[in-house]
Amino acid sequence: MPSVPPSGNAPVIRLRDVTKSYGAGTAKTQVLRGVSFDVEKGELIALVGQSGSGKSTLLNIIGGLDQPDAGEVEVLGTDILKANDAARARMRNAGIGFIFQAFNLLDHLSVLANVTLPSAFMKDTKEVDARGHEALRRVGLSDFATRRPGELSGGQKQRVAIARALFNSPKLLLCDEPTGSLDSKTGEEIIKFFQELNAKDKVTMVIVTHERRVSSIAQRVIAMKDGMLVETTDEALQETAGPS
Amino acid sequence: MMPIGSLARMVAANTFRSKREVATTGGGESKLGGVFAAIVALVILAGVIVWGWELGPLWLSLLVAGVVASIVLLARGGRYKRLGRFALSSFGIVIGIATFVLFLASTEQVGTVLEKIFPVEEVEVVAPQVSLLGKDISKRLDDSLVQTIKGRSEAKRVLPRMSLQFPAYGDGTFNGAHLSLEIGGAADGIDPSYVVEDSTLTPGEHTMFADVFRDWEAAENNTKPRQQCVPPGPKDDNPCTDHQRYYCDKIDNTCHHRVPVVLSPTMLELYNTQFAKSHKTPIIDQDFAKFIIQQGGMERMRFTLALGMSVFGSTGDTGKHREVEATVVGISAKAKKIGMTVPLQYISRWNTEFVNVDAGKTYSSIVVTLAQREQLAVFSQWLQDTLDLRLEDSLGEKFATVVFVIRLVLVIISLVIIGISAVNIAHNFFMQVSERRRELGLLRAVGASQTDVQLVVMGEAGLIGLIGGLLGILFGWLMSRGVDALSNRYVPKFPFKPTTWFHFQWWILLGGLGCAVFFAVLGGYLPARKASKMEPAQALTQN
Repeated sequence: MPSVPPSGNAPVIRLRDVTKSYGAGTAKTQVLRGVSFDVEKGELIALVGQSGSGKSTLLNIIGGLDQPDAGEVEVLGTDILKANDAARARMRNAGIGFIFQAFNLLDHLSVLANVTLPSAFMKDTKEVDARGHEALRRVGLSDFATRRPGELSGGQKQRVAIARALFNSPKLLLCDEPTGSLDSKTGEEIIKFFQELNAKDKVTMVIVTHERRVSSIAQRVIAMKDGMLVETTDEALQETAGPS
Repeated sequence: MMPIGSLARMVAANTFRSKREVATTGGGESKLGGVFAAIVALVILAGVIVWGWELGPLWLSLLVAGVVASIVLLARGGRYKRLGRFALSSFGIVIGIATFVLFLASTEQVGTVLEKIFPVEEVEVVAPQVSLLGKDISKRLDDSLVQTIKGRSEAKRVLPRMSLQFPAYGDGTFNGAHLSLEIGGAADGIDPSYVVEDSTLTPGEHTMFADVFRDWEAAENNTKPRQQCVPPGPKDDNPCTDHQRYYCDKIDNTCHHRVPVVLSPTMLELYNTQFAKSHKTPIIDQDFAKFIIQQGGMERMRFTLALGMSVFGSTGDTGKHREVEATVVGISAKAKKIGMTVPLQYISRWNTEFVNVDAGKTYSSIVVTLAQREQLAVFSQWLQDTLDLRLEDSLGEKFATVVFVIRLVLVIISLVIIGISAVNIAHNFFMQVSERRRELGLLRAVGASQTDVQLVVMGEAGLIGLIGGLLGILFGWLMSRGVDALSNRYVPKFPFKPTTWFHFQWWILLGGLGCAVFFAVLGGYLPARKASKMEPAQALTQN
């Protein structure tokens, strides 16, 4: 089973023998079967695999949105299994940005309010709007702060979602099929933005994707099949990832 | 836990949103709020213009119909389904709280009025008049007994009352109408201070009582000599210098101050509703002192008191009789309900003169003001065990009990209505939580803990309760205005009829608001728990 040898610094993500199953008895489905790997600071990782291979579940476990059955999960220095709900919430709030395929914007809030949503759960609420505007500027939507998500195109919505993920200057970005709902041109723009973000700000990124064009920008590709990591050869990629 | 300011902002934003989905389309918010407010304002305006403020219930019912129709329309429109559901939830709270404050305010007012008529902390000690062996006159209420009762710690104030024990009648002319009224047995005397302290008196009347309602005979016998006079004929003027207050006594040919008389509000109402109508005399609907002045002063309120004589032609046991002049100086709740009340010393002297010395020293009852209401049972027991006396059946206590029971029933009814609204809120929030799984999952993703999510959902429920409570209080107050307007217009006057049937004490309003928020939060508790226990990873994948 492939794994990344540990480097000198503590990894941003450290997984050891992570298992996860859903259901019980005969309906029990083993989704993850002893997954182990590390992600170093500033890495851009593509997590590829067929539907049902367990990559989204793994991403949720890394983000503290789901709990593994067994194994060790350490993210940004937090032991996910030992930390309580409040500690995991603090970790998500301060250190992790999520980007989803379906954008998950709240239509009853303005674009700026969507971007600053994480501030609702922070104690330090200074200069929230200024930071929200700065995040919007970074994704090129400075003029859209007062609009509602319903007034935006798909690409613009994903940019708002990225601005929200960047609001707290996270150390780790977890992206679940970020270009899955976008046309190819808009998808290209988003991919380019991720590349720049990783190169300039050294943000560690884990991107779950089916798309070859996304995995092609990754420094490392981790492929999954039936809840386990598999060799990340070009052949394997052809098999697990979708069209480029 | 999230900061309170952030929680408040999020709760407000979630509650007042117009759409329920994490949608992908839309053209901005509707002007629903403005249209809704405009409809309500127009209904109120139309009602006030057409029927006037006083006819509150008519336009109020239109207003309610408008609000209900708007809410139903809201609920039917899928676009505003969520807001419509919340409006329906809060409508239950509005009705519940409106009835809650209305019932409490009305029973509070009824209780206040009843306490004026039958002061609960005041009890009347009477001697038993009948025993198994027949008439029982062994118990006499006299000064020594008054002193004994005064020695009790439960008794804050002890004031004896003395009834007139011989025939007498009043005879006078008022606004051209001649009136004779039998007062033997319907007149009594009380200590002047008891009347002067009457809390129901207006400041104007109070001054008048303080000045006039006292024993003038005792006060003037020891001072300057009385003015000599010749009793005037029927058409002659009053020869006394201060003709407003003094009359020329036919026995000693000197000027005496007229006997000051106070009447009860019951007598005033009887006069207004019966006598004034049949004799076409003016209605007394203002400050009594002003009325007296308007009528031409106390001289116009005078009447002759025929002592020892009856309108039925009989005389007292001694056969004595004489006339004095009296004048009505005010209205007091402490006066005899049916009849008249004068300073105690007059009755005492007259009973001595017309009956015997004992009659002038025997009280008909002793009014005891208790230091605390709760001491009634102890005092009553002591009275029975030690002095073999009893308390006059306290109607006040009975009425207070009845009012308490009625209030309890009404409050329970309102609480049931509010409770049903809480169940409704719980039902709506359960549906909301299921529909908003993705949104709640997102909150978890951006840093909300389970407690935060629970607080957000319960905060939304609390806000619904707060708004519903405020609207309920407003609605209840408007209803009370309507009922008062109808009562003032259509319900005939009767003794102690209040100008308003409602007394909105601060604790009623605060209680109503607290009750609304409490029940709404209670309704939101279980859905909030469900929301907080939701797996965020699964919630985020909901379609």
